[in-house]
Amino acid sequence: MSQGASGLRAWLLQRATALYLAGYAVYLLLFFILTPPRDYGAWIAWIDNPLHAVGLMLFLGALLLHVWVGFRDVLLDYVPLFPLRLALLALLGFGLAACGFWALRIIMAPLLI
Amino acid sequence: MKFRVYRYSPESGLKPYMQEFVVETTRGMMLRDALLAIQEQDESFAFRHSCGDGVCGSDSVNVNGLNMLACTTPVAGLRQPVLVRPLPGRPVIRDLVVDMSQFYKQYRSVEPWLKRQDPLPEHEVHQSPEERDKLDGLHECILCGCCSTACPSFWWNPEKFLGPQALLTACRFLEDSRDQAAEERLDALAGPYKLFRCHSIMNCVEVCPKGLNPTKAIGRIKAKMLKGSL
Repeated sequence: MSQGASGLRAWLLQRATALYLAGYAVYLLLFFILTPPRDYGAWIAWIDNPLHAVGLMLFLGALLLHVWVGFRDVLLDYVPLFPLRLALLALLGFGLAACGFWALRIIMAPLLI
Repeated sequence: MKFRVYRYSPESGLKPYMQEFVVETTRGMMLRDALLAIQEQDESFAFRHSCGDGVCGSDSVNVNGLNMLACTTPVAGLRQPVLVRPLPGRPVIRDLVVDMSQFYKQYRSVEPWLKRQDPLPEHEVHQSPEERDKLDGLHECILCGCCSTACPSFWWNPEKFLGPQALLTACRFLEDSRDQAAEERLDALAGPYKLFRCHSIMNCVEVCPKGLNPTKAIGRIKAKMLKGSL
């Protein structure tokens, strides 16, 4: 099943990350309605809680993986030319990794001070 | 009643065009009868048909944008002028006749026959009523091709994606208690293309003239695959 995994694994990953994203989206919505952070200090205090930081990082990871699977699906569907597909997939992978590291830096920054 | 039918003959050198016909309708007239009436007006008009009763699956055509069987479609409910085109995405041989080779190739690729490891018994291979019930909604397919030719994923990747019809058939043999090649069948469907190009668009469900649900069957295959890998 080594070759097959890329079909089933991607599909499973998409479903699993979707569940977390949906749950976290509801949480975020309630958070912003009920206890919106008033200033930068409030944000720092919020992210200082390891539970919040880990939850947000998991959200970030789930989001990037979900985007990867979704865009990969689009490329597999519409770009039959292999070299072009490979190049676009690589570009997408690097782009998403860059987004991930950038966001990680933002989340980690207050914790490192 | 006004009909506009797709005309194309590769030998003529003309581009495809829509030709208008007026047909005198009768009570209970089906689209197949109308196409036969059109053929009487113009003998060069070609379309496939056989049983005339929704069993053989020969006369599937695209009517006002939806795939359906001409023989089971009453003309009375159709919006005029009735646009009759060949099944989408398939090479046109002539008028409404398309080349279904790719579709049959995908059907053959799921090896649509029972496979046994055990030696065959002297009598039939028995099946309980409950086991037989699992095949309902799967075995009724008549291979008309309405579903696969309505599927965008099949339009984009007809060589790699098996299409709803072949996957429904794959599910039919995976669910059969008499079949003993489930693992082999699931392995054959692995990879990102054969099964997983299905994005649950559900055009197949909308057009199936037998009221079958290929999307659900595909979901059942995915569940079996998941169970086998965890």
